[in-house]
Amino acid sequence: MAKSDSPMLLQGTLDLLILHALQRGPLHGYSIAQTIHLLSDQALKVEEGSLYPALYRLELDRAIAAHWGVSENNRKAKFYEITKRGKNLLAAEQETWNRLSLGVQRVLARQP
Amino acid sequence: MPSLLLKLFRRRTMERDVEAELAFHRDMAAAHGNPIPIGNTTVLQEQARDLWRFAFVENLWRDIVYGARSLCRSPALVVTALLSLGLGIGINTGIFSMATEFLLSEPSVTDARTVVSIRLAGNSHASKEVVEFVRASGFFADVVGENEEALVNWNDGAETRQVSTVLLTKNYFAALGIPMALGRGILPQDPDEVAVLGDHFWRSRLHGDPSVVGRAIHLNGRSYTVVGILPKDFRSLIGFGYSPDLFVPRYLDDTILAIYARLKPGMTLGQARAGLVAVAKRLDKEMPNTLPESNRYADNIQVSAVGGFDRIKSETEMQTVGLFFAMLLVVVGLVLIIACVNVASLLLARGSARRQELAIRVSLGAGRGRLVQQLLVETALLSLAGVACGLLLREAMASAVEELQLPLPIPIRLHLTLDWRVTLYAILLAAFATLVCGLLPAWRSVRQSIAPSLRREGRMRLQRALVVAQLALSLVVLTAGFLFLRNLWRSNAISPGFDVRHTIYADVNLPPQAYKDVARKRAYVTAALRELAALPGIESAAAARVVPFNGGTRFGGSMKLLDTGKTLPTFYYWNAVSPDYFRVMDIPIHRGHTFQAGADSGAHPVIVNRTFAQRYLADRDPLGRLFRYGEDRVPYRVVGIVDPTKNLSIGEEPQPQLYEDLSRIDNDRTRLEFVVRSSTPPATELRAVRATLRRAEPDAGLEVATLYSSIGLAFLPSQVGAALLGGVGVLGLLLATIGLYGVMVYSVSCRTREIGVRLALGANRRHVAFMVLAGAARLILIGSAAGLLCAFFLVKPLAMFLVPGLRPSDPASFVAVALLMAITGFAAAWGPARRASAVDPMTSLRHE
Repeated sequence: MAKSDSPMLLQGTLDLLILHALQRGPLHGYSIAQTIHLLSDQALKVEEGSLYPALYRLELDRAIAAHWGVSENNRKAKFYEITKRGKNLLAAEQETWNRLSLGVQRVLARQP
Repeated sequence: MPSLLLKLFRRRTMERDVEAELAFHRDMAAAHGNPIPIGNTTVLQEQARDLWRFAFVENLWRDIVYGARSLCRSPALVVTALLSLGLGIGINTGIFSMATEFLLSEPSVTDARTVVSIRLAGNSHASKEVVEFVRASGFFADVVGENEEALVNWNDGAETRQVSTVLLTKNYFAALGIPMALGRGILPQDPDEVAVLGDHFWRSRLHGDPSVVGRAIHLNGRSYTVVGILPKDFRSLIGFGYSPDLFVPRYLDDTILAIYARLKPGMTLGQARAGLVAVAKRLDKEMPNTLPESNRYADNIQVSAVGGFDRIKSETEMQTVGLFFAMLLVVVGLVLIIACVNVASLLLARGSARRQELAIRVSLGAGRGRLVQQLLVETALLSLAGVACGLLLREAMASAVEELQLPLPIPIRLHLTLDWRVTLYAILLAAFATLVCGLLPAWRSVRQSIAPSLRREGRMRLQRALVVAQLALSLVVLTAGFLFLRNLWRSNAISPGFDVRHTIYADVNLPPQAYKDVARKRAYVTAALRELAALPGIESAAAARVVPFNGGTRFGGSMKLLDTGKTLPTFYYWNAVSPDYFRVMDIPIHRGHTFQAGADSGAHPVIVNRTFAQRYLADRDPLGRLFRYGEDRVPYRVVGIVDPTKNLSIGEEPQPQLYEDLSRIDNDRTRLEFVVRSSTPPATELRAVRATLRRAEPDAGLEVATLYSSIGLAFLPSQVGAALLGGVGVLGLLLATIGLYGVMVYSVSCRTREIGVRLALGANRRHVAFMVLAGAARLILIGSAAGLLCAFFLVKPLAMFLVPGLRPSDPASFVAVALLMAITGFAAAWGPARRASAVDPMTSLRHE
């Protein structure tokens, strides 16, 4: 799935990143991967093998909606945009992530 | 999940979308200089597909196709299964159809749920004034009356026949909204001489000629215009398959009518009843019931529905019939189980043969659930095919039942249509059959393929257990059938209390308008009797209002004994007869004498039977006693005591009977019976009797037959019971025997090697055959023992359907049935035993 030099992403975390990336407006699959890559200062590289299953799952859960459109270079591409349900999901996942990272930080800050 | 269902149909589109998306992604990545990712497209597509859950439907489809193909490769299994399941399911749905049609069918009226049947004063019928009063009260949307027991004389040009007719009020068709096949119903503004024909009458007597509508037919000597014809599947308001031939407006003032009403919209049964009580109270004040011994109208009011369960609840005789059908359904249900177990055995045998195939599937990664699903799908295919065969059988049964002519005084025709209830029942049976047949073999095969047991199949414990269960069930079913056969035998031997071998019976329906006067009727009777007695070959002749088994009139009332002053409630079967009646019917006069002319004007002479005397007159010598009924002015005097006869059915207990003198009563009916005793065989005198009666009154409707042939009604219940249950019993035995045969054959073929070894080591061939027979005997013994035990308890409730004197737990039945089972079982085991003894040790040792 992911390459050896970029960290493994939990499934829920990937959903979080995708939803966050779609906040500004609809994007197609490649743009979403690019956005995450750039926003993380090239630390995270999402493979198509993990991106698309996540997108399809989110679509089935009705967190994002898909429609075919035309890309920047005039090619047919499938665009995804976040739905109301997706916005709620985004807030929930963000909350979960905050608690998780806080918990990990606290453990590492103290001696066993 | 509607979106999921949509996705099922757009699967190809979705796969193309995924490919297009990935291609776009790769192109963009290449354009931006990123290296082509290593990701595997196929895996991605598989993941996507899994996500969309196409897997379940695809697997199911694949199972169906594969199952069908593998079934086609075993035609013997398919044929046997179809036969067993087809017969079992067919009989079940057939009997279910009959039961629902007979008991629960809705009449062919518009909106049957708002039509109710009304009884006032606890009487089934009321006078036309009462019907009109209830209608005029405006409480119901409309009120109609009908008399369904009428007979009308129809002259077809050559002969005058009696036709079963319904007399009705003219608003009948309009108020009930009855659908017509041709023409129209009777309207209130029609003249009195109009008629509507039933479909069967129109087809069989008038050749189904559509131009009959608008033409005239001759009824009761008058010309009636046919205005319409009812559809083929018409169901009457009275229900229970009753299918009259003619519908005409009421033509006599004193015809009593059964009352039906249509409720106003939104009215419930409770409201209807309450409102009716108020109407009845008004009726009591304005038109009090003047008949003696009758209740006030407002006492005992009943309002009941005309279809479905509610109707049966109010008719107690129908409850017995309902119980009979319920019992029948249970019995054929047992037969279905036997058939299913047969198929299960076959599938079990097949399952062990497919062990290898299933083991390979397991090794390729199939889960247990998938395997069970595959095997169950095969069984479901068999069940569905079995249901299809069963429904075909049901259609055959339905056509047979439509054609059936039962010896009943009223025409009953059942239309067994395939409605939603029967279909639902058939589907339930299919599901049941699938589970019973398939679950056990599927579970067993899967268990064996996953963890194969090294032990050989020789023991076959499960299959033997199944056969024992089949034999037990079959024994229960057979016992029931045998009991009903014995019942038929017994009922033929019961004496009805009068002579049926030398008697001729004639049913006469005098034209009503000409015979309104009682004196005219009496004159006719006297003349007819004189003519009949004068015939050569005729010993004596008599007239009566009722002849046993062809009708029965029961009365109940409060009797006041004039000598002791006591009052008792009584009920009895009533008849009015001419003096020679007892001589003709050979009913012994125990004490006293028959009616004599001119005797005793102070009291009406009556003759009672011994049961009546014992029950009501036992405190003193019954002969010569005077008593009074209700408010009658003239008392009755007992002049004779006779032996009891049966009244309506051959199995009934002795009932009190009371006879009046026909020439003294105020006879208001135009229907009469004549009985004639002949010294020569009765069939030879039929023509003479018919000619004599025709001469006496040419316009009368006439039916003449030997009394023996006309009492078919009495034996009908026992005949029907014997036919149905005897047939089902034989079917059950056949299926169980097939099961036993199958198991024995399979057992022998599995043990071929062992038998070969035994023979090679010097065993006697006969010994081998004996070994097989002993195995079969053990199965039959255990099965019969279990079956006898169950049968002993299970047939006890059948006592209500049997004639008195035949106890269900009579040991003779069980012995006979066990013997029958043993003989059949041995016959079944004979073939395999012979095959076992014919095994060639050389080839069998090379078998594996």
